[in-house]
Amino acid sequence: MIAERLIEAVGAEAVKTAPEDLAVYAFDAYTQSETLPSAVVLPASTRDVAAIVKIAAACGEPIVARGAGTGLCGGAVPTGGGIVMSFARMNRLLELDVRNRRARVQPGLINLELSKQIASTGLFYAPDPASQKSSTLGGNIGTNAGGPHCLSYGVTVNHVVGLEVVDERGEVFTSDVDDAGYDLTGVLVGSEGTLGIVTSAWVRLLRLPESVRVWLAAFPDVESACEAVSAIVGSGILPTALEIMDSVILGAVEAAFHAGYPTDAGAVLLIESAGFTDEMNAREAEIRAIVRAQGALSWRAAATQAERDALWAGRKGAAGATGRIAPNYYTQDVCVPRTRLPEALRAVERSARAHGIAVGNVFHAGDGNLHPLMLYDKRDRRQVAGVVEAGNEILQTCIDLGGTISGEHGIGHEKRAGMNLIYSTDDLAAMARVRDVFDPKRMLNPEKIFPAGAKCGEPL
Amino acid sequence: MSAGSGRRITPKSVDQLRDVVAACDRTREAVAIEGGNTLRGMGLPPARADVTVVTTALDAVLEHEYRDLTCAVQAGITLASLAESLAARGQYVPIDAPFARKATVGGTLAAGWLGPRRHLLGRARDYVIGSHVVLADGTLAKAGGMVVKNVSGYDMSKLYVGSFGTLGTLVRVNFKTLPLPQRRRAFVAKLPEGTRSRAIAQIAELAIAPAAAFCVEGYRKAIDGEDGTDGRLFVLLEGSSTLIERATRDLRSALGKAGVPETTILDAGAREAFERVLDATVACISDRSVTYHALGSPESIAVRSIAMRDLAHRHELFTDVLADVMNGDTILRVSRRDARAFSASVEIFDDELHAIEPRATIVAGDSPVRSSLLVWGQLPSGLAKMREIKARFDPNRTLNPGRFVGGI
Repeated sequence: MIAERLIEAVGAEAVKTAPEDLAVYAFDAYTQSETLPSAVVLPASTRDVAAIVKIAAACGEPIVARGAGTGLCGGAVPTGGGIVMSFARMNRLLELDVRNRRARVQPGLINLELSKQIASTGLFYAPDPASQKSSTLGGNIGTNAGGPHCLSYGVTVNHVVGLEVVDERGEVFTSDVDDAGYDLTGVLVGSEGTLGIVTSAWVRLLRLPESVRVWLAAFPDVESACEAVSAIVGSGILPTALEIMDSVILGAVEAAFHAGYPTDAGAVLLIESAGFTDEMNAREAEIRAIVRAQGALSWRAAATQAERDALWAGRKGAAGATGRIAPNYYTQDVCVPRTRLPEALRAVERSARAHGIAVGNVFHAGDGNLHPLMLYDKRDRRQVAGVVEAGNEILQTCIDLGGTISGEHGIGHEKRAGMNLIYSTDDLAAMARVRDVFDPKRMLNPEKIFPAGAKCGEPL
Repeated sequence: MSAGSGRRITPKSVDQLRDVVAACDRTREAVAIEGGNTLRGMGLPPARADVTVVTTALDAVLEHEYRDLTCAVQAGITLASLAESLAARGQYVPIDAPFARKATVGGTLAAGWLGPRRHLLGRARDYVIGSHVVLADGTLAKAGGMVVKNVSGYDMSKLYVGSFGTLGTLVRVNFKTLPLPQRRRAFVAKLPEGTRSRAIAQIAELAIAPAAAFCVEGYRKAIDGEDGTDGRLFVLLEGSSTLIERATRDLRSALGKAGVPETTILDAGAREAFERVLDATVACISDRSVTYHALGSPESIAVRSIAMRDLAHRHELFTDVLADVMNGDTILRVSRRDARAFSASVEIFDDELHAIEPRATIVAGDSPVRSSLLVWGQLPSGLAKMREIKARFDPNRTLNPGRFVGGI
């Protein structure tokens, strides 16, 4: 059977078929698949990946590439069965070119590990999703991951300069943003494993900034914090991060992290600015004047690296900290033009209240990227239904405000139906033409991104 | 992108453009897409052009919500008009391309033009957050949106940018914008004998990276000033006044160490001086020149640009060189006084150049010899996929046939 062929190709230690092993790979951080994969394979090299793809193709089994499984929309879940390919063994930094500021990495390398391994060179890798302690660069490339610092540094695609890819037939090809021809790199990044399997990537590295400052402004409510964000950006200042947390989240974060956040404010705005030491005092004065004019209650500057780290630890751990309030949370990942944030937040509040669901907001305000966390108990079916309905309403509201259904998490399996809400049949057909080139038989991560239905090129 | 013969149509609306393209697709007439025609020297002209569709009448600014740092424009707007419109709110999109008063947004993006500030600010493609494209059958396909972060499906705009109009015609582009730098300052200096590579090394080490830095040899008509023995240096600094003052001190000290004691500062004329450098990158000497663009790395720029120049001299070609210190690109213009002698020399030179710089592409040149040169350099690994993409998007080969790499 397929397991035997896989073992023959890549060795017994790289193939898992025991039911308890397979069950582990039927999940990501949100979705549980009803179907177990038929095998889990852990390739150690590009050659292994190619061999596995050829065997899967011969057996008619689809392949789901998987990083750390931290995704929140079922992107790495084998909803249609098939082989799950884990990159846990392909997790090395392959080459570091300090002079030209770039590195070649394997897809299983954990995001934060890369910056740690190169810290002594004065360089860093900019995209920093909140999951960066566990999520892999391959997974980040698949979803075109963002993070709090993409306000000034950009998202993953802005930092990937070349890829080595195994295609659906098991053939290896490379892409390089400097190659002549179509920008395959730009399309492959964010394609959620549906166009090819990335086996290594060249990424761009940035110089560590000379000076980093973190400031915290407290506001009476989320709306005034949002207005402050628009005022800062509109004034011509582009900080490296502008993050908002509301009172629900602040309470949970302080209880969990003791990071020094005020618990009596309606909202806080976390501001990070990076640059040259000479400029920082003037930058602080400018931003402080703007937030004061927007009604800030207080202003605090993190005095030490430890204080900065504590504030960021609280921010990046915010979702997890809500475990103190409710046993489960569901987060949406919607993006609106940043000036529409106050309206979007009012709609979130309205929908959650109408369905009797508690909601906390922690989000990338500078990018207009909302993450409402709906807090519930999944043992209560009424609450589960309420979360789903409120989630759909929020999605629709954000679309109506000129936004989109995913800012940085991806579409995966969960949001497929939403694609019809933002794209026309013609728009989706153009995407399907690309899919037809790279994966005509829909063997790479099927049932993802494209809504079900023949009209958009996906077989029924 | 010159069509040569055939009808020229300048649609006044997107719908009209769709109708024209769809009609041509039905009747199997080839369509050449033309913006400002400033980058016609890249790649090859379309093999057939029954109709030339010119986008320059689609030139409106559709939206600019400055507090969102986003804007939307029709693709036929010129780079200069876009810049002027955004500057009214203190913003810009960093697209550094030649002849900004003529070049269109759509044409510059379609050509995938790579500007000198990209080492710091990213590529033009990184600022495209959405697009509307008219496909070969006249379908209007939208991609992305007006938000700065968006991972809803494939980022189709990435495919259209750099596709030379062979998949569709960009009619609308949504950008994320940046706040304009407070100040801009340019430095021009003669490079005394033997200082070139030391100056390049010093610039690479600067804590405050210049927005752009070039070592220039030749290009006398395009760029003011006389060459020193080793040519001239052009450096552009951008940022706050505080930053520029510090960067000025650092740069002078670094150049002093490299043996370049004298620099001239341009403040008022910095932008214009930078534009002259950009314009030079595609400037032609009637039909007796061809300009190569070789992407390299900052580490190797000093050596590689000289190797390219010396090779040209061995083939009795005149040279003008722009070495982009920050990105590691070499722009090399080769020419001769006599058109026939030029053609003969450059054909042999082209082969030998690609032996040392496999990815060198041709970005300018009105000489007919272009069609027998390796205009795209080494063919990319993904060419088979690219051909399939073309076949899916434009099965009748209606759009710019033969304009792109590998005959696409």
